[in-house]
Amino acid sequence: MTLDEILEGRDPDRLSELSREDMRRLFWMYKGLLKRVERDTAYWQATNDNLRTAYERLDEQERELARAYQTIRQDLEIAQQVQHALLPKDHPEMLARFEFSVYHKQMTEVGGDYYDFYRLRDGSHAIGVFDISGHGVSAALIMAYLKAQLVQTMEQVSRPRDIVEYLNNATVGFLREVRRYATVNFVAFGERTFRYVCGGGYGVLVRGGEVHTFNKGDPFIGLRRRAYSEYELPFETGDVLALYTDGMVEAQDSAGADYSTRRLHELVRTNAELPANQILQRCLDDYGQFRRVDADDITLIVLRRRAA
Amino acid sequence: MSDESEPSEPVVHGALMGGFAQACVNLNIVAGRRATALLADIDMGRWFPLSKWMEIERMVGESYANVEPIRLKLGIEMMTLWYHHGPGKALIHRGADFLHFQTGSHGIASVIRGPREVVGSFDLAEFDSERGHAVIRSSTPFDKTIERGVLIGGVMAPGDLYYVDVTNDGDPNRLVVEFH
Repeated sequence: MTLDEILEGRDPDRLSELSREDMRRLFWMYKGLLKRVERDTAYWQATNDNLRTAYERLDEQERELARAYQTIRQDLEIAQQVQHALLPKDHPEMLARFEFSVYHKQMTEVGGDYYDFYRLRDGSHAIGVFDISGHGVSAALIMAYLKAQLVQTMEQVSRPRDIVEYLNNATVGFLREVRRYATVNFVAFGERTFRYVCGGGYGVLVRGGEVHTFNKGDPFIGLRRRAYSEYELPFETGDVLALYTDGMVEAQDSAGADYSTRRLHELVRTNAELPANQILQRCLDDYGQFRRVDADDITLIVLRRRAA
Repeated sequence: MSDESEPSEPVVHGALMGGFAQACVNLNIVAGRRATALLADIDMGRWFPLSKWMEIERMVGESYANVEPIRLKLGIEMMTLWYHHGPGKALIHRGADFLHFQTGSHGIASVIRGPREVVGSFDLAEFDSERGHAVIRSSTPFDKTIERGVLIGGVMAPGDLYYVDVTNDGDPNRLVVEFH
């Protein structure tokens, strides 16, 4: 009986029949197995120890990450409060002349859509709507910068074209350096008209059941030094003006279709007889049913001139 | 670099580097993007500065609190790869042959080159197949535990031996091989 036969037959009772040579083989086989188990055990023990250390490090890093995340959250909340404070609040003088409603939603805590109400040096009221390229904190910082620049600009000039040109010239160097730009839609109201400058912004006037779309062919703020064009449209009691950024009209449904300016303008037109806040709400309801997810900051302002 | 030239700086052949790196990956000492980068960095036909080998050795050392069993396994894994997925099977047929092979001109001497005082030597000082005993004197710059693993893995790879162990016997440059 050989060792191989015993091992194949699984008959340990016949081990005593083995030759001296097979007994030697069995001895070294057994010792070899013990040695392999010893090496493997040491290897797996070291691997296991390492895994435990790695988990402990991972736990610590997770705690550090959570602390860092909490700090960032707190900073963002503060940034959000600061940005809210930079947006216009009560404007009794505007409210006396215009019925208006505003929807403003940033995609994250802070964003790059910015609107403001102004009183120009010549006493007229104005609205500016800007969309800074990018999102988040960097766009919000540019927004604060633009607001500061606008305040200075208003002290120098009062015509919409001059204001936008002055603002562009004052900021183009910095904006190019940080590779940012902003769309602009600046509207100044007269007694029975308004004048506007539009570089990449969106605006629509509904007057007598007809839609007048803003000419938005002027350059964005921050791209290059250039002269801006100014346009004038009538704006009388009952006329409705909507100013907005691209967030809403470029949002897509689940099939990939854009919400579109046409759809928004048609909604404003068909609801033009309603109060401004209801027109805005109709637009938001329709948009809410359409879009799959918001992909950009959104600003929509609806105004109607009150009866004198 | 050609095989004929004698480099002034110590160099290690890409085949050895590749086996070492692959063993590190197989044992998950490096994983993910680091593993991909490590393997992509090694051309099996080129010579690499010895410092690159040392860099990987250091990385292994820094990765484990108890690194000796890992180093041993790494050496074994390298030779398992060399035998089953490299040229090993065609070069040796019995476990004991590996000791002659590794200490000959086609062994370690063929994959590390440079100044003698740096690359050292790897010599079979004693060999007794009846007793299953051999002694190798090694003064190579490689980690001695990895070198022990290489000897264990190489001698075990053909599968004709039941027992293989390599100890240092107090002298790290004296590798005592027991095989049966």
